[in-house]
Amino acid sequence: MRIKITVAVCAAFIAIVLGIAIGSVYIPPTDVLRILAHNIFGAELPERVAPAHTAIVWSSRLPRVLLAFCAGAALSVSGAVMQSVLRNPLASSYTLGVSSGASLGASFVIFLGFSLPLIPMMTLPILGFTFGLGTILLVMGISSRLDTRMENHTIILTGMVFSLFINAITTLMFTFFREGTQRMILWQMGSFNARGWTPVTILAPAAVIGVLIISRFKWELDVMTFGEEQAHTAGVKIKSVKLMLLISAAALTGSTIAFVGVVGFVDLFAPHIVRKLFGAAHRYVIPMSAVIGGTFMVAADLAARTVTAPVDLPVGAVTAIIGAPFFAYIYFGGRKKSAGA
Amino acid sequence: MLALKNVSAGYGGADVIKNITVDINKNENLLIIGPNGCGKTTLLKTVAKLLAFSGEIEINGKDIRKMKQKEIARKVAMLSQTAGIYFTYSVYDTVMMGRYPHISESLLKLPSDRDKEFVLRCLEAVDLINEKDKEITKLSGGQLQRVFLARTLAQDPEIILLDEPTNHLDLKYQFELVEYLKKWSMQENRAVVGVLHDLNLAMRLSDNIMILKDGGIQACGRTSDVLTAGLLEDVYEMDVARYMADSLKIWEGLRK
Repeated sequence: MRIKITVAVCAAFIAIVLGIAIGSVYIPPTDVLRILAHNIFGAELPERVAPAHTAIVWSSRLPRVLLAFCAGAALSVSGAVMQSVLRNPLASSYTLGVSSGASLGASFVIFLGFSLPLIPMMTLPILGFTFGLGTILLVMGISSRLDTRMENHTIILTGMVFSLFINAITTLMFTFFREGTQRMILWQMGSFNARGWTPVTILAPAAVIGVLIISRFKWELDVMTFGEEQAHTAGVKIKSVKLMLLISAAALTGSTIAFVGVVGFVDLFAPHIVRKLFGAAHRYVIPMSAVIGGTFMVAADLAARTVTAPVDLPVGAVTAIIGAPFFAYIYFGGRKKSAGA
Repeated sequence: MLALKNVSAGYGGADVIKNITVDINKNENLLIIGPNGCGKTTLLKTVAKLLAFSGEIEINGKDIRKMKQKEIARKVAMLSQTAGIYFTYSVYDTVMMGRYPHISESLLKLPSDRDKEFVLRCLEAVDLINEKDKEITKLSGGQLQRVFLARTLAQDPEIILLDEPTNHLDLKYQFELVEYLKKWSMQENRAVVGVLHDLNLAMRLSDNIMILKDGGIQACGRTSDVLTAGLLEDVYEMDVARYMADSLKIWEGLRK
């Protein structure tokens, strides 16, 4: 297990360094490390390293790569929690309407030109987050009214009904407000392009806090995967733990898509890959989902901005294009092997 | 050690069990029998505080309404039918989950040496110590139910509630499970309250019986005192004693 964890962490480090090194201007990985050491620890920088490279690494690529890593980590941990709590391998924050809500929030900004006073630049993230989280709170509130025990099927069905309803409103806005359609579509497909340091300085602490809160519930997550009655008789306070976990997971997704748009698939497949590699115990699933999901997102973003350079591809499309066959290979490949054994 | 006084409970406001009053003493094996829908499982769920109830339920003289969920879990554990498995855990990790109510609330919530040792002892008790690193999805039905029994034991309860845990198990494992629980209940401050569909198996486990019909107690006490062919016929609406006797003839007629 220790070897596997070490390999995964090293892979994450390599992906981050390569993500910074490769782009329209290639910067050797050794120079990337020197620039990072210089800016973080004040280490001496060799004269051959061009100042332009230092600026590219520090002002453009590092924040972008860190944002991608944090986004991948937050989405994957959120997916792992949703799958375990709802005992459904296909569950995600998206199933419960977080992305639909965030898209509706974004559509108010993009189509209607709504802008917050004093902080107009933060309007899109703030509205995206608020609408995303607001949707899941509404879903949980209504589920709790419909079913005092908040059974999983009630939550999932309520989430799906809300998703469809809110998506319909967003679609209507597409019809009535043609201007901004392209921007809205691009936002819905997600991107880490030209974001600077601001998003990462907000998302990174949010992701760390969210993952730490969720990690505190590693036992409850384990026990709950065997069913709620079982968990209850083992001493878990189901309703409050479930609320706390689902809202934390939704907040992780909401804060991510608020900054980078809707990036799908990583939250579905990263936790499954992690369970295949590290087992189902959440003391591994939560931190390793963060590491594997973050690494994958850095790689997906690297592909998104280099494959058709200088045109950036939507990273949401890339995660699905790379992730779907990889996921199928890992997930169904193992199944075929065990069926044949 | 477990006392129910005028307990009524059910689903959606409708009572399934009504005015149940019973005392369960240490080293007692109480078996609940009755036709489908008579409230057997509802009664177990009520004792586990899975359902809201009226009346009083006390564990060692303490009202369970005033006990925290973890405190109840340290006293009462439930062994049910094999649950659906969605994710792959090792045998050891699955049994360790039984220690949840005992794990300290420290920052990292790590299991103590005592927890680890306890889990190993439970694995030994169900003869799965050599399988502890195996994935539970790779076990047979019988082995899996032994894992769940070990997890129930790891909870270190005083009372085990059995909710038809032998369903889907073959005969040998059913017999082994019941024999093990019978021995377990003879230890200090232990009791078993069970629902088993198989009356033959039920009789092997239990000395005391509660017969439920339409949510109320039809009879309760020592099996030898309470159980009559007429009572069984009344509850199950068929001649159970005759059916069992006929079955026995078939078994006895088998060639050696």
